Amino acid sequence: MSRRVRVLTGLVAVTLALAVAAPAGAQSLTRERLDNGLVVLVRENPLAPVVAISLMIEMGTRWETPETAGISNFVHAVMVKGTTRRGGGELAEAVAALGGKISAAGDVDYSEIKASALARFWRELLGFTAELALTPALLAQEVDNERDWLLSRVQKRRDNPGDRTFDELFAALYGAHPYALPILGTPRSLARIDHAAIVAHYRAFYRPERMKLAVSGQVKAAEVVAEARRLFGAMPAAGGVAGASVPPPVATPHRIVVEQPAQQAQILVGALAPRLTDPDHAAVKVLATVLGGGMAGRLFAELRDKQALAYTANAFYDAVREPGALILYLGTAPENAARTEAALGKEIERVRTQPVTSDELNRAKSYLLGNYAMDRRTNARLAWYLTLYEIEGVGQGFPDGYRRAVEAVTPEDILRVARTYLGTLTTVVLQPR
Amino acid sequence: MSARAGVLVAFILLLAGCAAVEQAVPPMAASAPAPAAPPSARPAPAAPASGPTREVLPNGVVLIVQEHRASEVVALQLWMRVGGRDEAPDELGLSHYLEHMLFKGTPTRPPGSIDMLIEGLGGQSNAYTTYDFTHYDLVLPAARLRAGVDLLADIAVNASFDQGEMDAERKVVLEEMRLTEDNPDRFMTRRLFELAYEPHPYGRTILGTPELIRGLTRERLGGYYRKMYVPRHMTLVIVGAVTPAEARRAALATFGRLPAAPATRAAAAGLKPLDRGRGVDVDRPEQQAFLGLAWRTAPTNERDVYAVDLLTYILGDSPSSRLNQTVRERERLVFAIEANYGAWEKAGVVTVNARLDPANLDRAEASIVGVIRRVRDEGVTEAERQRAIVTAEASYAFDIETAEGLAKTYGQAETTWTLDNELAYLARLRETTAAEIQAVARRYFGDANYARVRFVPRGAAR
Repeated sequence: MSRRVRVLTGLVAVTLALAVAAPAGAQSLTRERLDNGLVVLVRENPLAPVVAISLMIEMGTRWETPETAGISNFVHAVMVKGTTRRGGGELAEAVAALGGKISAAGDVDYSEIKASALARFWRELLGFTAELALTPALLAQEVDNERDWLLSRVQKRRDNPGDRTFDELFAALYGAHPYALPILGTPRSLARIDHAAIVAHYRAFYRPERMKLAVSGQVKAAEVVAEARRLFGAMPAAGGVAGASVPPPVATPHRIVVEQPAQQAQILVGALAPRLTDPDHAAVKVLATVLGGGMAGRLFAELRDKQALAYTANAFYDAVREPGALILYLGTAPENAARTEAALGKEIERVRTQPVTSDELNRAKSYLLGNYAMDRRTNARLAWYLTLYEIEGVGQGFPDGYRRAVEAVTPEDILRVARTYLGTLTTVVLQPR
Repeated sequence: MSARAGVLVAFILLLAGCAAVEQAVPPMAASAPAPAAPPSARPAPAAPASGPTREVLPNGVVLIVQEHRASEVVALQLWMRVGGRDEAPDELGLSHYLEHMLFKGTPTRPPGSIDMLIEGLGGQSNAYTTYDFTHYDLVLPAARLRAGVDLLADIAVNASFDQGEMDAERKVVLEEMRLTEDNPDRFMTRRLFELAYEPHPYGRTILGTPELIRGLTRERLGGYYRKMYVPRHMTLVIVGAVTPAEARRAALATFGRLPAAPATRAAAAGLKPLDRGRGVDVDRPEQQAFLGLAWRTAPTNERDVYAVDLLTYILGDSPSSRLNQTVRERERLVFAIEANYGAWEKAGVVTVNARLDPANLDRAEASIVGVIRRVRDEGVTEAERQRAIVTAEASYAFDIETAEGLAKTYGQAETTWTLDNELAYLARLRETTAAEIQAVARRYFGDANYARVRFVPRGAAR
């Protein structure tokens, strides 16, 4: 969904449990590549009588241009409105009768259909997921209807001071790189994307080589794989789509002030940060946590608790396939905005010049790994992580490697990555008017 | 929807609030079909084979415990029977202010050390305040059970209210008020609840007013704390990878030792449905309109909650719901629409919220009222009733996934109705007939007996 939502759930979402072992039953993972290239992952997790499905497609903002911005998400908005076999209302009723939910949306590196239901209906749920993915109706009338809805959401984001500020920051930070584009698109791009474009985009990207399917829950892997093969195996292999080749973003310092009616001022400072596969990834995760992870993070402890300059004080770093963004976020009273921005500048300077203490470092690592473990407990999240790691090309061994890399981060690493990545900053201030 | 915690929690977070919280997940019923553990060589895990135990300690603290081995964590939750409804008119916002201050230190825990302790263990903490209760929440590695219970017992009675911390937090609370106002969904929920409940204590602000918060003294806050934070107002819920004996030992050694004191909570009155409509229009900076309608319905302790819950689901909980299919999909009058049931101890409301083009405000409202009228006149179908029930069953099943989800349901049930009701919930839903659903539609929902809040773009013609 929206990038900010994604960033927030990635970092804020759940929490906990540092060296906590993974869920007792959630161990068995099956991975299989069908003949047509589609990857199927099944996590047998007998803990609760539920099932969650994530179907991800390599299709997202990364392959869009200013003219087509939002098309991946648009395709998915239309997709859930019905298949060649049944209309949207009938589909919604059929899914609800499973105690289920199904939704679809675009993101930067992928688009996702996600579904969940009572485990005893896993077969029906997987069937509906396949029906949506493989035989969506994509009716012209629904394209017009959903365009109105998407435009309303674009407007809602623009009206929301926090969302607006994040969007301005991404635009400034990434410049000509497609990560600058809003996932929802723009009024201009949405107006231009027509029914033919939706159908063409769907056909270009829904190819088995670009699709990853994960099922997690109270299921048997062999049965799920067999059913997935039956449902998806007949898709003809179509070859990949040429990868988007766009020059990497170039960091340039910016300071942008946006005026908008609001009660709170928003201050965002962002910098380009390593991609998920970068050796610096773990150190920057720890850096972000030292600064703004949790209530003992520096921004919260210093700027909120001690100086009472802000109510919201967070840091986000969401690594993606291409350069990510490290973002520091403060929400404050308009009359405090200047002081808060200055105080934030001091915190950035401090972390670039003075090593963190071992207490702080340990707190940050525990919090970060605790959050990570906590976030991988529900089947919905487990399924999401399984497909995400396929999409990002890091493999299913990623969690172990990541944990070890975080544990190995030293104060010198923090200093080094702070100097490397927090040198060229983009600042966006939303000033209430 | 839901009198049950799950959905209500999501709702509460719109209403109340403190630190960043996401995630609204509840629990399982004893009556939910026992998941057959698949044959496997792996150790048989977690699905709570037995339900919770409930015990009242001699000083009045209620202790609810359940072993739950989904992962190696323990959820520790303190539920205080203290909330917005307990405040005198010149005390508005004190319950919420307390909730902020409790993490700011005790004589043995300096400011800042509590967050550092929790997060240093890889743990998580959270808290929020509502009309009926104040909720404190820890999730920790299971091995740190005792440290966590110690901490909760300490902050429950020994908070310091350091003057410097208190002054700093004042600004934070004032900031929270602004933040709320910038979020139309959150602000709508608050305004709508206030309007629907007035003049009941539920119809007042939980954050307090800027004037009251600016003038609040330590003495005043401390007095309220000592009066309200007594053992008889406390429920401790422990759910996680710990044995009931371990949990009980930790509770007895901490909460069990707090000196007994009489309960101090005053009775709150109930509420009847509105006899006529009331409305407020608010000029807002957004370019879109927001419409909120609220009908007063059953509180948690009445038999009608089950039928109201199912009705709310059928009206507006999913893409297949009547409001969504009629007002959004067919008539295209709104961009988004949903119904929720906020059930509290003394009064409940069913709300319908929509986001729409301001030009459609009147027609959308008429359409919503028409959808409800049809339920009154014609009832609901058996298929709708079945879907609503299976959805509730699924909601229970998803709750089993986390210890804190389960704990939240138990704590909220104990605080706003009863644990037994919670455990029997799904069975009662299954017994609820289509005729009963129609009957509550007739009992509570009229064409004009609702509260209406409209957020209207500044300068928009309607």
